[in-house]
Amino acid sequence: MNASASSPPARRSAGYAFGFLDDRAKRELRRSMLKAVCLPGYQVPYSSREMPIGRGFGTGGLQLTLALVGPADTVKIIDQGSDDSVNAVNLRQFIELTCPGVRTTATTQAASLIQTRHRIPETPLAADQILVLQVPYPDPLVVVEPSEERRKTMHGEADYSRLWVKLYEEMVHFDEITISHRYPTRIAGHYVIDPSPIPRWDVPKLHQAECLYLFGAGREKKLYAVPPHTDAVPLTFDDVPFRVEDFTDPATGARHACVRCGATDSFLDEFMDDTGRRIHQCSDADHCRQRLAAGSHVVEAA
Amino acid sequence: MTSSTRPILEVAGLTRLHGPGCPRCVAATGPAAGSNVCPHCGTVVACADVDLTLMRGEVLGVMGESGSGKSSLVRLLYGDDVPTRGAITFHDGDTPLDLLALNARQARRLRNRAFGIVHQNPHLGLNFRVSAGGNIAERLLMGGEMRFGRIRERAMELLTRCEVPAARMDELPGRFSGGMQQRVQIARALATDPPLLYLDEVTTGLDVSVQATILDLILELQHQLGVSMIAVTHDLGVIRMLASRTIVMKTGRVVESGLTDQILEDPQHAYTQQLVAAAL
Repeated sequence: MNASASSPPARRSAGYAFGFLDDRAKRELRRSMLKAVCLPGYQVPYSSREMPIGRGFGTGGLQLTLALVGPADTVKIIDQGSDDSVNAVNLRQFIELTCPGVRTTATTQAASLIQTRHRIPETPLAADQILVLQVPYPDPLVVVEPSEERRKTMHGEADYSRLWVKLYEEMVHFDEITISHRYPTRIAGHYVIDPSPIPRWDVPKLHQAECLYLFGAGREKKLYAVPPHTDAVPLTFDDVPFRVEDFTDPATGARHACVRCGATDSFLDEFMDDTGRRIHQCSDADHCRQRLAAGSHVVEAA
Repeated sequence: MTSSTRPILEVAGLTRLHGPGCPRCVAATGPAAGSNVCPHCGTVVACADVDLTLMRGEVLGVMGESGSGKSSLVRLLYGDDVPTRGAITFHDGDTPLDLLALNARQARRLRNRAFGIVHQNPHLGLNFRVSAGGNIAERLLMGGEMRFGRIRERAMELLTRCEVPAARMDELPGRFSGGMQQRVQIARALATDPPLLYLDEVTTGLDVSVQATILDLILELQHQLGVSMIAVTHDLGVIRMLASRTIVMKTGRVVESGLTDQILEDPQHAYTQQLVAAAL
């Protein structure tokens, strides 16, 4: 690129252009993202570049982030709700290395750009924030139709009856819809998206949100968007309401609380402590941390 | 029969060529030439210049040997294939609709609501990976029914009407006998109360006693619901039992048409005479 001569030295750190991607790649990504925003839920194809991390480790989300980020941005990276797990740490270090001047943070409210895997933060996002989700499988129809050509026609004609048949079969066999994550969600009354492997808990956050949601699938070379103030309705039947995860303890009838901050209104991870006791803890580490800092604590005695 | 004088389907000059096509294709093929492959350009003339009218509540038989264009005709009418030339007019209530002028979405919606099809091979008409009830649910969902309870009720009602035990509605069709699979197909085809039903060799391959019960079922449904039907078959018994009027096809052309009794008792075209004689 001809910009190399005029670029300030600070931007040449580690020998890469700012944001790792070349300008043409960024331009193409931005164009595709604009198209995705114009057609909410439509899977826009783009030429997913080779990245220095393996496909399936968030290359789609990372390319979107790198095409969006500017020196004034503050970036937060989440993996399964945590800022400190391997995927999040690696991606954050990569951004720190290739985007000099960009600040990184763990605080949801302080970030202008958030890249995430498997969770949407508990703290509602604002109009000046963008959430980029890493997507393994962009097409919700892949479970019912193997041919991509036919899937495209089905999307075009909003022909989703076969997805509903799948829900029907689940109702017949289990008396409820058992999809735990990647819950098919209809955007703006037409396209159905795979909202990436977020739990059901996070699906309602897509509906009429303040922020822009962008979804990037690196391996499948597709990206799509749920713009602000857009309807996002999970597929269900008129007489079978959509339900999120239920954290009620069947023994006590009360809702499980986070063992750290005592929250009873967040998405909880269940695991065993060192003594073999089942415990629950906020999945969103930053949410939990902020509650602790504000003086919340566990009320129940162990 | 309860057929009225109002048409439900009008077909004019329906032609489907597979291949490059040349101006001589239609003239150089047909019953007289004894072939449906154009000697000049090698194009296969699946059917050519087919005209037919189906009245409301009527059953029209389409008879002919293998390769005569019967199934091609049904594929064109059902919208699985697009004709090279010709016109198909479907009377949706009192509104005549040019089927070939509809866009893909309109055509699919109309088809889901107004047409049903029963294939010879249940694997074409049913999804074997979802339950019998699920297959019916698919048609209902395509038609816009979004209440789970109502879908269950309707599926049970349809299966019962088609003499499939309601207790087996949540089983996969692969566990059913051939006759039962055919009944599930019929139940599925009838799910949205379509005014028009296509039957493509529905009894071929079934044993004789099952054939008889399936034909009984179709006749009964026809009497109760007044559905118009086009029944394609090479079995003269089926034609005799179901159809009030019949067309005979050979090498992609209609060679004879008229009342079924007349065609079976007093065939005019040499090919029909041969066909009727061969069946006896």
